[in-house]
Amino acid sequence: MTTDNETTPETIVTEAAETPVQEAAAKEVAPKKDRVAQLENEGDIAADYLEALLDIADLDGDIDMDVEGDRAMVAIVGADLKQLVGPNGKVLDALQELTRLAVTQQTGDRSRLMLDIAGHRAARRTQLTELGTAACDRAKEEGTPVKLEPMTPFERKIVHDAVAAANLKSESEGDEPNRYVVVIP
Amino acid sequence: MLVDALEHLVRGIVANPDDVDVSTRRGRNRGTTLDVRVHPDDMGRVIGRAGRTATALRTVVGALSKNGPVRIDFVDVDGR
Repeated sequence: MTTDNETTPETIVTEAAETPVQEAAAKEVAPKKDRVAQLENEGDIAADYLEALLDIADLDGDIDMDVEGDRAMVAIVGADLKQLVGPNGKVLDALQELTRLAVTQQTGDRSRLMLDIAGHRAARRTQLTELGTAACDRAKEEGTPVKLEPMTPFERKIVHDAVAAANLKSESEGDEPNRYVVVIP
Repeated sequence: MLVDALEHLVRGIVANPDDVDVSTRRGRNRGTTLDVRVHPDDMGRVIGRAGRTATALRTVVGALSKNGPVRIDFVDVDGR
């Protein structure tokens, strides 16, 4: 931790403050607000794109928007959306990809928006956290590294987090798309 | 419905949405083929790196189809 970032705005902005300092101070405060507005705008564009698709396909679904961390989160919730999730979330991933492109087309910035449909990602997250915790138990018991199934980068991140929470270490091995997590006792 | 859905999906990701045209072609025994035409400048956008975007479009339209697989062809239109 450096102390630079912890300086409060009051200590920076004095009467003698030079323009560059003032600019730097303004920059520290402003982007955060702008960034949230930017992410909310991403969510709005995504929601329009997806809502029109639901209309055309005559599917019932409500769209929720949120900003989490540094990402726009958009979720389609509804009873009969299984076809939009697909096996292993394949259709969901494709639709997320297209939605990101639609957002990028309008904003000019690359989007890292996350799309969820019918709670698929939320359920998968719970499942992966449990899997990570179970792998930790096994690694501790057996005293040997435990290799898991290949996963996407996002899925591996969830497992790594679960392992870290259990105070063990983990690594990713292998090449995409067969990269997998190894839990180290 | 599939034509409209595909047209909407493509229009959203290109720079020239007014130039997007999707039409149906019926093969004798191959089921339905959808032909996508876009502005020549947008061809790269609908194909994507290593065909990623084209694959995503095929995956979503395939999931919406009620009568089995759908073929999607991206038709190259010459510059005007």
